[in-house]
Amino acid sequence: MFQSQAILGRMAGCKNPDQIDDHVWPAEGLDSIPDWVYTSDAVYEREVERIFHGRTWNFVALEVEVPNVGDYKRSYVGPTPVVVSRAEDGSIHVFENRCAHRGAEFCRSSRGNNKEFVCPYHQWSYDLKGNLQGIPFKRGVNKAGGMPKDFKNEDHGLKKLAVATRNGVVFASFCHDMEPLEDYLTPEILKDFDVVFNGRKLHLHGYYKNEVPANWKMYHENLKDPYHATLLHSFLVVFGLMVAGNESAMIADGKYGIHGTMASAKKEDKYAKVSDDTKKEMRSFHEGMKLQDERFLEYIKEFDSPWSVTMQTIWPNLIVQREMNTLGVRHIVPNGPNSFVMMWTMFGYEDDSDEMTRHRLRQGNLMGPSGFLGLEDNEALRFTQEGISKSTSDQSVIKLDAGNVGTADSLISEAAIRAMYRHYREVMGL
Amino acid sequence: MAWTRVAATEEVAEGEVVGVTAAGQQIALYRDKGEFFATGNVCTHQFALLSDGYFEDGCIECPLHQGSFDIRTGKALCAPVTEDIKVYPIRVDGDDLLADI
Repeated sequence: MFQSQAILGRMAGCKNPDQIDDHVWPAEGLDSIPDWVYTSDAVYEREVERIFHGRTWNFVALEVEVPNVGDYKRSYVGPTPVVVSRAEDGSIHVFENRCAHRGAEFCRSSRGNNKEFVCPYHQWSYDLKGNLQGIPFKRGVNKAGGMPKDFKNEDHGLKKLAVATRNGVVFASFCHDMEPLEDYLTPEILKDFDVVFNGRKLHLHGYYKNEVPANWKMYHENLKDPYHATLLHSFLVVFGLMVAGNESAMIADGKYGIHGTMASAKKEDKYAKVSDDTKKEMRSFHEGMKLQDERFLEYIKEFDSPWSVTMQTIWPNLIVQREMNTLGVRHIVPNGPNSFVMMWTMFGYEDDSDEMTRHRLRQGNLMGPSGFLGLEDNEALRFTQEGISKSTSDQSVIKLDAGNVGTADSLISEAAIRAMYRHYREVMGL
Repeated sequence: MAWTRVAATEEVAEGEVVGVTAAGQQIALYRDKGEFFATGNVCTHQFALLSDGYFEDGCIECPLHQGSFDIRTGKALCAPVTEDIKVYPIRVDGDDLLADI
């Protein structure tokens, strides 16, 4: 029995003009987002060039993933495969996962430890910093063949990226003259970043990986969209994790307007008291629903922060998640305009008690692609990408809290999304 | 260790490296400015034969990744080799080369 909806998915041609010059932002300016932002191949190519390969710091790894000399991890900057490597002197290096010879993606294991990197095709050997060490039969055999006399290994190493780390988080950039990481992240964002990454050694809990069939920017927007929180996520409301009236904020950085922190403070009560007025408006409120295991909802105040939740979007590829006591990072890997992969890394601290670790793992069920707070966003993004691709209208409306661009006082605001697109339009020249 | 005949002196020309098997070991023999030397023949890095390599200035360079060893001491001289190669005492007995393997 075939489902026509599952098969009918071809994008309307007008949503994907060939020429970059045919992409015109609507007259409404920041009150609107044209569909082509999400569906155009030409725009995506420019994003890779100007954003992921441009003046940005991109998350690639946590130091705890490569703790020892020789440890390495496969990662991505934008869609570009890279390797993160810990060299003999303890420094971390990031280079493209592409052999300098014929272009093979030489590093095949997701994580591992080795003394050097050897490409399987012709065994070109690179050291842990990505320098070309050795080429088989460089001198030829029996004095015939081999590399020309003027071949210098230094000219044929792996393509290296700039690397910066902060409190156990590793970033990389294709720009070797990037501003310092802390300037890029900005003080407003560092305030909450440093709460999670506070210098304490991390302890890895595990990974999730999922594909979302939608544009990568939608995920940033989703976490700059406090409006949807109580409306889409039934779990938040039913179990009182977030209700209108909680202390909250949607902060955009003051320098670029590109990074954000969605913050909220849970009251002490396990289940929030919802006013009768609010109950009427919230479709998902069900009086008297309780969890079988209420330990799940406990918030153990462990940091010196007024917030119980901070969800940070760090442009262009990182989410830092602190949802009560469940901690993690999410790494966005764009895969063309209509798809991205989300790589989640969940963690605690090395000095967590066993009880705290169990609590984090239990509460971690909120997260991940099938998490109580994770799964609806994936679906909503997919519905949006599908709707945009196939319909005749060609733009979105973002008028909530009109006139405001950046940090907002109210959760019923799209000001942070506007700030993101203001920066985006500047960088992209669109 | 025992002294074993490994080759005839004329089999190892000046400035050349020759690979032999003796007493179950793979050995590389060198003649450097009239003097003879012997080392293990299997590179400590990735198991290529040093006798296929480039011999110059008292150093043998492995053909696979150009790791170098000093033929007198066996010392690993440059990346990617980090482990020294074994050296064997060698002497001439008439027309033969003997090594203490």
